[in-house]
Amino acid sequence: QHDHGKSYPGQPVARELSVRSFLDMGFTDTQAELLHDTVSKAKGSAAAQQTLTSLTALFVLGLNPSSVLKVLEKCPELHHIKESQLTQRINHLRKLGLVEGSLQRVVAHYPQILTVPVKRVKTVVLFIREKCLFTVQQVAEIIRDSPAVVLEDLGQLEYKFQYVFFRMGVKQAEMVKSKLFRFPLEEVRCRHCFLERRGLYQTPDKKGQTLIENPKLSQILHTDRETYLVDIARGTAEEYDTFGKMMAREWQEEERRERDIGAD
Amino acid sequence: TKWATSLPRYPNTNMALQNFDAAYGLQLGRLWPSVRCGLLSQKKYGALLNNFCDHRAVVSDLQDQGCGDFVGATQLEAPISPMGPERGGVSEDMADSGETEKSHGGNQDSTPLSLSSDIKCFVFPRGDITRFKSARPDQSRLLSYYLLDAASVLPCLVLDVQEGHSVLDLCAAPGGKTIALLQTQAIRFLSVNDSSVSRTSRLKNVLHSFIPNHLLSTDRLRVTSLDGTQWAEFETNTYDRVLVDVPCTTDRHSATEEDNNIFSKIRTGERKRLPQLQTDLLLAGIKAARPGGEVVYSTCSLSQLQNQYVVQQALQLARQEGIHLQVVSLQPLVHMLSGTFNFAPDLLLGEMVVPHLTANFGPIYMCKLRRLC
Ligand SMILES: C[S@@+](CC[C@H](N)C(=O)[O-])C[C@H]1O[C@@H](n2cnc3c(N)ncnc32)[C@H](O)[C@@H]1O
Repeated sequence: QHDHGKSYPGQPVARELSVRSFLDMGFTDTQAELLHDTVSKAKGSAAAQQTLTSLTALFVLGLNPSSVLKVLEKCPELHHIKESQLTQRINHLRKLGLVEGSLQRVVAHYPQILTVPVKRVKTVVLFIREKCLFTVQQVAEIIRDSPAVVLEDLGQLEYKFQYVFFRMGVKQAEMVKSKLFRFPLEEVRCRHCFLERRGLYQTPDKKGQTLIENPKLSQILHTDRETYLVDIARGTAEEYDTFGKMMAREWQEEERRERDIGAD
Repeated sequence: TKWATSLPRYPNTNMALQNFDAAYGLQLGRLWPSVRCGLLSQKKYGALLNNFCDHRAVVSDLQDQGCGDFVGATQLEAPISPMGPERGGVSEDMADSGETEKSHGGNQDSTPLSLSSDIKCFVFPRGDITRFKSARPDQSRLLSYYLLDAASVLPCLVLDVQEGHSVLDLCAAPGGKTIALLQTQAIRFLSVNDSSVSRTSRLKNVLHSFIPNHLLSTDRLRVTSLDGTQWAEFETNTYDRVLVDVPCTTDRHSATEEDNNIFSKIRTGERKRLPQLQTDLLLAGIKAARPGGEVVYSTCSLSQLQNQYVVQQALQLARQEGIHLQVVSLQPLVHMLSGTFNFAPDLLLGEMVVPHLTANFGPIYMCKLRRLC
C-alpha cells in the first residue's frame, strides 16, 4: 500500500535512524538533519524507537514530510508516545466522526490532541453531548474546529456554553457554525457585554424576539478587533481597552463574591 | 460550579434604560451607544481635597499614584475668556423657538469666565481605572478628601464664589458640593438647605467630618430643611451666589441600581412632575439671588426636559415677574477641561459632561445665569 522505493520506519531496514533514512522517508536535506539531530539528542535506542513510531503513525495518517516535521516541532511530546496509544487515539478520533481530511487537519493544527488519553476525550465528548445537548454530528464538528476543547476545564466549558445559550440567546447550531469553542470565555464575554451595554445586543425573550437586530455570533467573534470596533460596536480602541480592564475587575469581584457566599 | 443563566429580571433599571434609549437615542444620536456604555460601567471618582486638613502627605501620595488636580492644571493657563463662536446667537435661536423672549437672548456675556478659587480635585488620567482608597481622618479628625463624581465639582467652580459672598445651596444634601464651595474659604455666610430631614442630618455629619467647628458657627452657616420651591416666602433678593442642584432622574443610578429607583412604577407620578419641581426650584433660586448675583442650575441627568427646557421655562417665568437674566457662557471652561471630561457638543443652553469609558464622569448638566435686575 505504500509507495515503492521508500522504506518506512517500522520495517527492519530502518532500525538505525541515519540522516539517510530520513531522506528516504521523503524529508529534504535540512529536514532530515534536523530530525536526526533531535533523535540523536534523545539518546538510547528506546527513544529512537519512539520517534520512529510517531513518525510512522503520522505518515500512516497521510501527512506529508514537512507537515510531520511541523507537527513534531509543535508538539515534541509526540516523540514519547507509544505506538499502540497513538493508534488507539487516532482510531478513536475517527470513530467520533473525524473523516479523512479533517483528521489530518486537526492533527496538523493541534497535534496536542494526540497526547490526550482516549478516556479524557470520551469524558469531554459525553459532557458536551449531555450537558450542552449537542448532537453527535455537532460534537464531531466542534472537535474538528476547536480540538483544544478536549483539554479545557469542563466547568469553564459549561459556563461558556450557558453564557452564550442563555445570555446571548444563541442555539447550538449557531455556536457550532461560529466555532465558538475556539474563543476564550473572557473574549466572548467582553465582546458581547461591550455590545450589550452600548445597546447593540439584546437577550432574546422567551419567543426568541428582540427589539433590535442582534449581530450574529460569528460576526461578533470572527472579525478582527478593528472591524469589530468599527462595524459592529461602533466604538474606539481606547474605549474597548478601558472596557476590558473594567470587565476583568468586575468579574474578579463577582467571583470573589461568589466564593464568599459559597464559604458561608 | 458556576452557572450562567438567563438575565435575572431588573424591572426598574430596565424601565430606565428603555426610557433612555428612546429619549437619549434621539437626543444624542451617534453619541448615545458610547454614553450608554459609560452609564452602565464603573463610574470614576474624583478626590475633592479638604483644605482644612494638613494634606501634604496625601497630595504627594496621590501624585505618586499618578493622579493630578484637574482644576489647578487649568489655572496654570491664561485667564479663561470666552472662546470660539459667540454663544449669544445661540441663545437667540433658542428664543426664536418661542419658548423665551428675545430680550435675554442678546444678553450673552462676553466678560471672561471666572472660577471659584482653591477648589482642588484629584483624578486619575484618562483610561486609568484605579480607584481611590477611602480617606482617613487626620489628627484633628477631619477627612482629607471627599470622593465624588469629579464632574460635580464643575457647578461649584463656575459659581465663582468670591471673598465676602453670601451663598445659598438650595438642594444641598448629602453635601458634596457644599464641601466644595466651602473650600474657597471666601464665603461670609452660607445657607444650606435640603427639604429632606434625614438627608439634612446626613449633610450635617458630612460637614462635621470635613469642616472645622469654628467655620460651622451659626453666624457663618445656616442649615435648614425647607421646601426650596417656597424659598421666596422666606428670603428674596439676598444672595450673591445661589446653587440650585435639583433632584432629577439621576441617570447613572437609575440605569444601574434597582433600589430607590425613580423609574419604579410607584414613582411614575413623582418622575413626571420632576421638570415642574425643577423649574420651581430654579425660579426660587433666581428670586433668592440679589440683582447682579449669579445662579448655577445643575442636574445629574442627560435629559433635555430636565435641563435646557427647565432653564428656558424658568427664564420665561422670571421675566414675567420682571426679573431679567443673562446666560453666562461656559464655553471657556469646556475648552480648558475637555482633556479631563467629555462634554456634549452643541447644547443650546448650558454645558453637559457625558459619560465615556475613558473618563467615566457625569452626567452633569450645568447652566449659569446672571441676574440683571
Ligand atoms: C441631586 S441632590 C443634591 C446633591 C447635593 N447638592 C450634593 O452635591 O451632594 C437633590 C436634593 O434635593 C433635595 N430636594 C428634593 N426636593 C426638594 C425641595 N422641594 N426643596 C429642597 N430640596 C429638595 C433632595 O432631598 C436631594 O437631597
